[in-house]
Amino acid sequence: MQADRRRLNAPPGGTAPPVFATAPKTKLQRPTRTREPDQHRKLFLRTGIVPSASGSAYYEIPPQQQQQTGLLVPQSSSLKITCTVHGPRPLPRNAAFSPNLLLSTHVKFAPFATRNRRGYVQNASERDLGAHLETALRGVVIGERFPKSGCEVVVTVLEGEEDGWWAGNAEGRGGGWGMMGVLAGCITVASAALVDAGIDCVDLVSGGVAAVVQAGTDQRGDDGVVAIDPAPSEHDGGIRAACVVGYLQSRDEVTEMWMKGDAGMRAEQLIDEAVKAASLTRAVLAEAVKEAVEMKLEKVEGNAVAAASVKEGKGKSKDVVMTG
Amino acid sequence: MSSTSIALPGQSLGPVSSNNVGAGTHIHGDHLFASIAGPLTTTKASSKVPPNLSIARPTGTLLLPEVGTTVLGRITRTNPRQANFSILALGSTGDVVLAEPLPAIIRQQDIRLTEIDKVTVPGSFRIGDMVRAVVISFGDERAYFASTARDELGVVMAVSEGGNRMVPVSWREFEEVGGTRREARKVAKVV
Repeated sequence: MQADRRRLNAPPGGTAPPVFATAPKTKLQRPTRTREPDQHRKLFLRTGIVPSASGSAYYEIPPQQQQQTGLLVPQSSSLKITCTVHGPRPLPRNAAFSPNLLLSTHVKFAPFATRNRRGYVQNASERDLGAHLETALRGVVIGERFPKSGCEVVVTVLEGEEDGWWAGNAEGRGGGWGMMGVLAGCITVASAALVDAGIDCVDLVSGGVAAVVQAGTDQRGDDGVVAIDPAPSEHDGGIRAACVVGYLQSRDEVTEMWMKGDAGMRAEQLIDEAVKAASLTRAVLAEAVKEAVEMKLEKVEGNAVAAASVKEGKGKSKDVVMTG
Repeated sequence: MSSTSIALPGQSLGPVSSNNVGAGTHIHGDHLFASIAGPLTTTKASSKVPPNLSIARPTGTLLLPEVGTTVLGRITRTNPRQANFSILALGSTGDVVLAEPLPAIIRQQDIRLTEIDKVTVPGSFRIGDMVRAVVISFGDERAYFASTARDELGVVMAVSEGGNRMVPVSWREFEEVGGTRREARKVAKVV
C-alpha cells in the first residue's frame, strides 16, 4: 500500500494506548467465554442517528462483563459500527443509463478502531469487506424500483474486533478472525440503514458468524466445538474455521457466505450455526426497525397536528381569478 | 401510537389469490410480502375485487418522482427547444424535499396546452424561475420529462431581469413589485 502523503501518519506498528500506573502485581487475565456455544452476545442497534443521511444505523456489541482488573485498557474488544445510506440519488453526469438501482458499498475502519492503527485510505482488507457486503445487500434490494439512480452505503467501523487477545502472543498471529465478526455486524447494520432510508428490500438481511473453536491450546487431537458469535479474544485455544452468512430469514435464503480456515467435516454444521446466529440477530434488527418506524410516525402525527392548528388560525384561502 | 399494524420487509401479507399488490409490497411465490417498513393499509374488499394492500413510508410516500407526480423545481438552462430544470421537491406544495436535485426537461411542446406552435421557451421561462410541473415520462438516461400544460402548472416564483421580485398579473405575464416592467412567462394559476 502506498503511504498517504497528505496527512500526518501514525507509526506503522501497533500503538497501544499508554497503560497508567497499575500495581506491578496486576495480573492480566484472559477473557473467557462464559456463555453457551449457541448463545449470542447482547447487542444494541438503533436507526436514524445521522440526520443528513437518507438512512443510518448504529450497531454495538458492548463488553458483556465488567472488567476485573484495574486496567484502563479494555481486556476484550467490543464492536461498534455505524452505517449511512445516501440515496436513491441521481447518477453522475458521465454514468451510463441503468434501469435499476446502482448499489455501491464502502467499508472503512476508523484509524483508532483496532490496536494496530489503520490508515485513512481504504486498504485491501477493507475493500474486501466492502465487496462481501455488496453481495450480501445486492440480493435483498429491489433495484427495479429505482431506475436511473444510485445508492451509496458507507460503513464506518469505530471499534473493530481484534484477531486475538492483545496481551497474549496472539497479537502478532493475526489470522483475520476479527474481520468475520465485523462483516456480520456490517451486514446487519447496513440492512437496518437501508430500511431506514425507505429503499425497497425483499427481506431484512442479518449477518451471523459461527466458528470451530478449540477448547485449549494443549489438547492435541481436540475435535473442537462449533460456537456462534465467537469473540477471538476469548478463545485461547484458537479458532480453526469461521463462517459468516448474510441470511434472509423469511425466505430462508443466504445472500452471502464467507468461510475461512479448515472446517473439515464440520463445514455444513458451521454454516447451519452461522445461520442460527443470523436468525438471532434478526430478532434485534426487526425490533429496532419497528421502533424506528413507530417513532417516525409519532413525529409525523405531531407535525400534522401543529400544521392543522396553524391553518385554522389563518383561515381558508380564496380562489383568485386572473385576467389576461 | 395508533392501532395500525406496522409491516417490516419480508413480512408475509397473505396469499396473492385473496390480496392485490399495492405500493411497498411485492410478490414472491404465491404470497404477498412487504418490501418497506411502515404502516399497512388495506382497501375495502368487494365481492369481485380482493383488497389492495399497500405500505406507506412513514416520512413522505415517494423517494423518486413517478409518472404523474407534481414536482417543484428551478430552471437551470434554456434553449429554443427545451428548458432544463432541477427537481427540488415532490408534491404540488413541496411535501417531500429531495436531498439532491434531479435533472429534468420541459420540452417546448409540453409548455402549454393550447396554441403549441406559438409557444417559445424564452417567452415562458427564465433561468432561476421556480416552476411547478408534472412528470410525464422517466425520460432519457439523464433527465425526467415534465410538462406544464395545465392551468395550475407553470412559473410560481420569478425574478425579473433587473433582479427584482415579480408577481403574476395575467396568464402570460409577471410584473415587478412596485414597478411597471413586465416579463412574459407561463404563469401557474395562483392558489
